[in-house]
Amino acid sequence: MKEEIIVSNLNAYFGSVQALKDINISIQEKMVTAIIGPSGCGKSTFIRCINRLHEVVPHAKVSGKILLDGKDIYSAEIDPMDIRRKVGMVFQKPNPFPALSIYDNVAAGLKLNGITKRDHLDEIVEKTLKMAALWDEVKDKLNSSGISLSGGQQQRLCIARALAVKPEVILFDEPASALDPISTAKIEELIADLKKNYTIVIVTHNMQQAARISDYTGFFFLGELVEFSETSNIFTNPKDKKTEDYVTGRFG
Amino acid sequence: MNLFQKRKIVNRLMCSLAFLCAFLALVPLLSIFGYVVSKGITSVNLDFFIHLPKPVGEPGGGMGNAIVGSLILIGLSCLWAIPVGIWGGVYLSEFGNNKLGTVVRFTADVLNGVPSIVIGVFAYTLFVLPMKSFSAISGGFALGIIMIPTIMRTTEEMLILVPRTIREAALALGISQFRTTVSIVLKTALPGIMTGILLAIARIAGETAPLLFTALGNRFWQHGLTQPIAALPLQIFAYAISPFDDWHRQAWAGALVLIVMVFLMSFISRFVIARRYKFLRSR
Repeated sequence: MKEEIIVSNLNAYFGSVQALKDINISIQEKMVTAIIGPSGCGKSTFIRCINRLHEVVPHAKVSGKILLDGKDIYSAEIDPMDIRRKVGMVFQKPNPFPALSIYDNVAAGLKLNGITKRDHLDEIVEKTLKMAALWDEVKDKLNSSGISLSGGQQQRLCIARALAVKPEVILFDEPASALDPISTAKIEELIADLKKNYTIVIVTHNMQQAARISDYTGFFFLGELVEFSETSNIFTNPKDKKTEDYVTGRFG
Repeated sequence: MNLFQKRKIVNRLMCSLAFLCAFLALVPLLSIFGYVVSKGITSVNLDFFIHLPKPVGEPGGGMGNAIVGSLILIGLSCLWAIPVGIWGGVYLSEFGNNKLGTVVRFTADVLNGVPSIVIGVFAYTLFVLPMKSFSAISGGFALGIIMIPTIMRTTEEMLILVPRTIREAALALGISQFRTTVSIVLKTALPGIMTGILLAIARIAGETAPLLFTALGNRFWQHGLTQPIAALPLQIFAYAISPFDDWHRQAWAGALVLIVMVFLMSFISRFVIARRYKFLRSR
């Protein structure tokens, strides 16, 4: 077992508002780490720091260190574009590119980074759509628009799109909160499957979901990491009173 | 009479009123179109499209040079106004959340309201005086100035409608800011931007005042972009104020051709966009 991401003394701000306070956490390679906590506690901000997406919001700032494979992703010589290719992300609401076909949605990350060899792209599109368990449903209509699909299919398309750029880590920001139970089950199955090859961090509001799919769980509250441990510990034997109250449904 | 019945009556009344107003708004358009068709259709024939105007007294002749001239002028103005307008709109929506953006926005809105004849005089001093000649270029410049605010503001508004999450999705794939803006955001907003461009073209296609100072008009075929050039609105204007019945008929025909040209342009481009952007219909 290896630590893939080591976060130390991470602070994040929106203007003068501090959204994350001194976060220290280590994320294990090829494991699923769930981030839980009430709304507005900084869960999403936290994972958006890992792929350097937090800073694209106007007036947003970050301080502290995040080591990915031993290198600080916030050091000056690092190109954020490289980090974003290594750390993929799937968003809360399915957001395929509306003007692009299903094929181009998956290929976008490669095509727009200069990889245009058709048979190479064909191969990756097919492979990642299969990994995202979407290939059989879309193989006959790769040229229709990405938004012609159902919500659950769109989300799997977004997963395929993220996989196509060959990331090491995939961040999921409440990926199933806009989906029906059947689509949710499919996404969860998929995450369990992806764990074999990728390090996964998932933000979720759904504690059953965290308990079902994750190996480690971190509980965030008001911008602080209250408790971080193996998932079974967090749900059966929490050390902190706040964690206990939250996982037993007394607040949040 | 109880309250429910009263509300039902008021509802009917307001619905009819709304319908009436919608109908009133259509009346001028329909009557203009009907009148122009009835007056002009008899003089529109093949000769009208391919021949030069004939001297007074000689029957026949056409506005071939003015039709070509108008197309050249529209092309020239699009050539510089579309890139400037679109990139300006990109600036306003993606980076214009500052003082400069506010100033540009305000200036564009004011420019949109400046009488077109003033823009003609401006182009006259900037191009015609130094070049010592009326020219197609100066006409294209003047018309372009009229197009820019419309294109820029529509582009901005259409780009703002593209959800933030689409931009973030592209950035999260490691796509550069430039490629995100051009290949994802602009592409998503393209149908709306096209509508703005078409509106701008429709407006300048009929502009006469700025051309009086710049393109001037020409009774012959075009000889280079630094020479005066014919344009449909100019020709219509010249013929309509003349005392000859024959010319009046030609002016009506010119007006009809102009309207149909603008209509066709917007119809064809909408059709092309609708085919490429099928998803818009399902929304």
